[in-house]
Amino acid sequence: MGSDAIKRGLFRGRPLYLITVLALLIVLPLSILAAVTFGTMRLPMGEVYQVIRFELGRIFLRLPIPEEWAPGTPIHDVVWLIRLPRLVLAAAVGVSLSISGVIMQAIVKNPLADPYILGISSGASLGATVAVMLGVGLTLGSNYVGIMAFLGAFCVSMAVIALANVGGRATSVKLLLAGSALSAVCGAFSSFIIYIAHDDHSTGKIVNWTMGSLAAADWENNAAILAVALAGTLFFLTQYRTLNLMLLGDDSAITLGTDLHRRRVAYLVVSSLMVGFAVYNAGVIGFVGLVVPHGARMLFGTDHKKLIPISALAGAVFLVWADVLCRTILPGNEMPVGILTSILGAPVFIYLMARKKYGFGA
Amino acid sequence: MKIEAKAVEALLSGNHILKGIDLETGDRELVGVIGPNGGGKSTLLKCIYRVLKPTAGAVYLDGRALDGYPYRESARRIAVVAQHNYYNFDFSVRDVVLMGRAPHKRALDRDTAEDYNIVAESLETVGMAAFADRSFSTLSGGEQQRVILARALAQRTACLILDEPTNHLDIKYQLQLMDLVRHLDRTVIAAVHDLNIAAMYCDRLYAVKDGRIAGQGSPAELLTPEFIREVYEVDAQVMTDGGGHLHILFHPGMEKAKEGSL
Repeated sequence: MGSDAIKRGLFRGRPLYLITVLALLIVLPLSILAAVTFGTMRLPMGEVYQVIRFELGRIFLRLPIPEEWAPGTPIHDVVWLIRLPRLVLAAAVGVSLSISGVIMQAIVKNPLADPYILGISSGASLGATVAVMLGVGLTLGSNYVGIMAFLGAFCVSMAVIALANVGGRATSVKLLLAGSALSAVCGAFSSFIIYIAHDDHSTGKIVNWTMGSLAAADWENNAAILAVALAGTLFFLTQYRTLNLMLLGDDSAITLGTDLHRRRVAYLVVSSLMVGFAVYNAGVIGFVGLVVPHGARMLFGTDHKKLIPISALAGAVFLVWADVLCRTILPGNEMPVGILTSILGAPVFIYLMARKKYGFGA
Repeated sequence: MKIEAKAVEALLSGNHILKGIDLETGDRELVGVIGPNGGGKSTLLKCIYRVLKPTAGAVYLDGRALDGYPYRESARRIAVVAQHNYYNFDFSVRDVVLMGRAPHKRALDRDTAEDYNIVAESLETVGMAAFADRSFSTLSGGEQQRVILARALAQRTACLILDEPTNHLDIKYQLQLMDLVRHLDRTVIAAVHDLNIAAMYCDRLYAVKDGRIAGQGSPAELLTPEFIREVYEVDAQVMTDGGGHLHILFHPGMEKAKEGSL
C-alpha cells in the first residue's frame, strides 16, 4: 500500500494540490526576499528592504527615492543592481529548465529526459558561443545571442529525436546515447571556437556559461527571459491534455482525437526557446529539469494539469536557494551554480536510471 | 451510425497485409471480425480507427470518407479499445478515463462537473468505480482493459472498436465485458479470437484470412465445420445447446496427425 501511494503521488487529492500551489506562490517571493540578505557583503536587513521598497515605489507609484537609498549609493547598487536581478534570473531560469524538462519528458515519453542530459543545453551554449565569438546572427536584433542560443537548442532537440528514432522506435538507451553524442559534438565545437578566438574577456564569459552562473544578471536581459519563461509556462498550462495524451503514444492519441506530430514540433520550439534564453542568461545548469519534475510527480502524480504549475514554482524556488548555497558555501568565494545542481542531480539521475520501472528499451 | 470499408488495402513494411477488404456494419450492429493470427484482423481495424492509412480503398463513416473528418471529429464518433496499453508513467484510473473526454475539449476548456460525472458513470458501468484513485499501472491486465473500455465509453461515441478486447481476461470477465458491450446499444466492430465468444455475442461475422474476406454472415450461417476447417485448418464440431446458443467444439490436433501418418 505504501509503495502504491508513492507511485500514484502521495497527495493526489485536489485540496492538497491547491494548497501547495498557493504555498509555493507565497514561498517564492519570500524566498527571493530572504535570499537578498545573503551574500559576501554583509548588509543590514532593514536597509536591504528599504532599497527594495523605495525602488518598487518608484516603479509602480512614481515616488522619488530619498538620497541615502538612491542609485549610486553602494547599498542601492548591491541590492538592486546585483543581488535582486540575480535572484529574479534564478527564478526565471528555474521555471524555464523545469518546464522544458517536463515537456521533453512528455515528448520522448521518458522521465529521464532533461535539457542537459539530451544535449539541448549544449546546443544552446554552442549557439550562444557562435554568436558572441564570431558575431553570427548580429542582424537578429539586440537579443541575438538569446535567439542564436534558441536556434542551437532547437536544432539539437530535433536532432536528438531524429537520431533516437533511427532504425525503430526511440528507447531510453538510444535517447541517452544520442543526447550525449550531440552534447559532446556541441561541446567540442564550442571549445574549438573559444580556443581559436583567444579572446580572454569573452573566454571568461563562456567558461561561466559552461559551468552555469547567475552572476551576469541585469534587469534588461531579465525582462526578456522572464517574458519567455512566463509565456512558455502559460502556453504549456493550456496544453496539459495533449501532454497527457503524449504519454499514451501516437496511436492512442489519434483515437482520442489528437494528432501529435505537429504538436510535438510546436512544443519543441517553445521549450527550446525557454532553454535557449535560460542558457544565454545563466549558462548550462544541469539536472534541474530532471530533479524538479521528478519530485513533483512523486507527490502529485503524472497529470500535467498539476505537474506544470508545481514544477514551475518549485523549480524557481529550488534555483533561488541553490544560488544562495553557491554564494555562501565557499567563504569569500562563490561556486558556479551548475556545479551544485550537477552534484545534487546526478545521483537522482543514476537512481532513476537504475530503477527497473524506467527500464531501458521500455 | 454506420461504418463501411470499401476495397481497403494496406501495406506494412512492404508486405501486402490487406488485399481489398469490404466490410459494412448496420446501425447498432455488433460485428465480429474473426480469422487466424496474421490474417489481417488488427490491420483492418487499425485502418478503421485511423492509426493506419489504407494504401488503396477507403473507410466511410455514415457515407462520408473518414479522411474528411478532423481527428477530433472522428474521435467523437469512434472510440477504441486496443490490445496493448502500456505506459511508462503513472496515471490514476480517473486520469486515464478522463482522457476519454479529450475529443470534446478545446485547449482552454476546463474539466467540468459533467466530465467527472461521465467518468464516474463509465467506471460504474465497467465495475471499476472503487478503483478510481488507484494507480493504473498497479492494476491487473484485465482491470486495465476494463479501465480502457471505461475511457472509450467516456468518449460517448456512437461506434466502438474492440481489438481483441478479451485477450488478457479470465473467462468470467470475458463474458462480462462482452455482455456489457452487447448492451451498449452502439455500433461495434470487434476482432474476436475465440469463436465461441464470437458466436455467442456477435450479430454478424466477417472472417479475414490472408488479407481477404473469407466469408461473412450470421454466426449460425458462417460457422460450419467445413468453413472452420477452411479458415483455421482444424477439425471442429458445431452444436446448438438447449438455450439456442451455438458452440464450437474443437478436436485435438493429434488425432488428425495420427490419422494422416498412419
